[in-house]
Amino acid sequence: MSDTLRLDEAVEFAENPEPRCPCVLLLDTSGSMQGMALNALNEGLQSFKNDLIQNSLASRRVEVAIVTFDSNVNVVQDFVTADLFSPPTLTAQGLTNMGSGINKALDLVQERKAKYRNNGIAYYRPWIFMITDGEPQGESDQVVEQAAQRVKDDEANKRVAFFSVGVDNANMARLSELAVRTPLKLQGLNFTEMFVWLSASMSAVSHSKVDEQVALPPIGWGSV
Amino acid sequence: MKLTTDQFPEPGEETREREKPSSEWRVVGASVCGTSHQKNQQMCQDAHDWEILPEGILVAAIADGAGSASMGKIGAIVASSVAVKSICLQELTLQQLDSDDQVRWLLTNALLTAKIAVEEEALASSKQPRDLASTLIILIATPSLAAAAQIGDGAVVAKDTEGNLITLTKPQSGEYINETTFLISPDALDTAQVNLWRQPVANVAALTDGLQMLALDMAVGVPYKPFFSPLFEFATRQTDQSAAVEQLVTFLRSERVAQRTDDDLTLLLAGRITPASSEARAI
Repeated sequence: MSDTLRLDEAVEFAENPEPRCPCVLLLDTSGSMQGMALNALNEGLQSFKNDLIQNSLASRRVEVAIVTFDSNVNVVQDFVTADLFSPPTLTAQGLTNMGSGINKALDLVQERKAKYRNNGIAYYRPWIFMITDGEPQGESDQVVEQAAQRVKDDEANKRVAFFSVGVDNANMARLSELAVRTPLKLQGLNFTEMFVWLSASMSAVSHSKVDEQVALPPIGWGSV
Repeated sequence: MKLTTDQFPEPGEETREREKPSSEWRVVGASVCGTSHQKNQQMCQDAHDWEILPEGILVAAIADGAGSASMGKIGAIVASSVAVKSICLQELTLQQLDSDDQVRWLLTNALLTAKIAVEEEALASSKQPRDLASTLIILIATPSLAAAAQIGDGAVVAKDTEGNLITLTKPQSGEYINETTFLISPDALDTAQVNLWRQPVANVAALTDGLQMLALDMAVGVPYKPFFSPLFEFATRQTDQSAAVEQLVTFLRSERVAQRTDDDLTLLLAGRITPASSEARAI
């Protein structure tokens, strides 16, 4: 048995960075979100953080970034691991520059991957999770077209998984033209349940092994 | 790391001193179930096999069944055992291994034979080959050569008598950490790593992906010496095979390892005992 103890004590482990599981929240902060929707969204972000940090592996592996779009596009939160993520309180105003927002989120994902590669950090396929109560507004068709084409290409090449969720009077038909995956309609303002689901899904992904098809939890907060 | 061909003799130069046949390998290998699989009551999807041939030729194989494959364990067992068997059937001599081409052929042929065997097993069980998906690593080591072929994740590490460590094959994952190539993948043989190292070999190790974050510096793909040194010493010094396996299993199941990885783990270690090294020790 002395050899066992020796092995246990003698062998040291390499310190490699945790693999990362990047997730961009792409959030509509146009004027129409003002009020109850935005309050519910802000609360939802809190639940997202609280739920992610329940899982020690996920809290170190899941990286969250937040991009908002209204008349402007803003990176409200650059990528940060869940344990260091402090949810912002968003405000709403202006139009809905969704196309520019999508482009920004895709850029952010691309830059992040380059950073991972340069630092020898392994990673999972990034997610972009878009939430809107409207449709593109206040920007040229060309920008929106370009964004939709990029989503299509990036999905086809497995560069990203792009999910979209419509709230209230969101133009679901328009959303389904923009995203490859069928958009989901949020039931009421059930952001909390949606973000708990997102957290559970990201946790599942961040635990997944080679070639595991990740089974996502059932969606109780929305419908197709 | 230098993979050279200049250390083996030109044709006609047949007088090279061979290692004494008395040189031998001590081998200890173990596959244990990861804590995540224990939780889900899944069985260990890893497998390993090895054989020592005359003239101090060691042949070993390890395989990691895919988490998504319903018969990943069977696939891993078939792949690793058929690979070893395919090389043993060649009635190898050290002289044959002087040719790089011959070594490459042996390894590639073993990959192919294993792939066919897995496909036949799938057919016999009325399953799809992907239900038996696994990685496969094959290793040949002699006193003066370490060679390995690898499809998918995991790694082979070798140490020469000077103490130099190299990764002979490296983890081969896709862009994302949770995807890799499997033996049954259509492009498996085209993308396989096949590498040779002609050095006086002291130790070799093969490991599946569950251990690679602990055993390698992933950013540069080099072995982590404080991981391998004690393990290689243990493998070379052990004299009671079954006790050594038990010790390795205990280590792989230890709390310290479990804190760092919840995946299935396979580690196969070999150390060469030579009359020369025992003499050196006596001096």
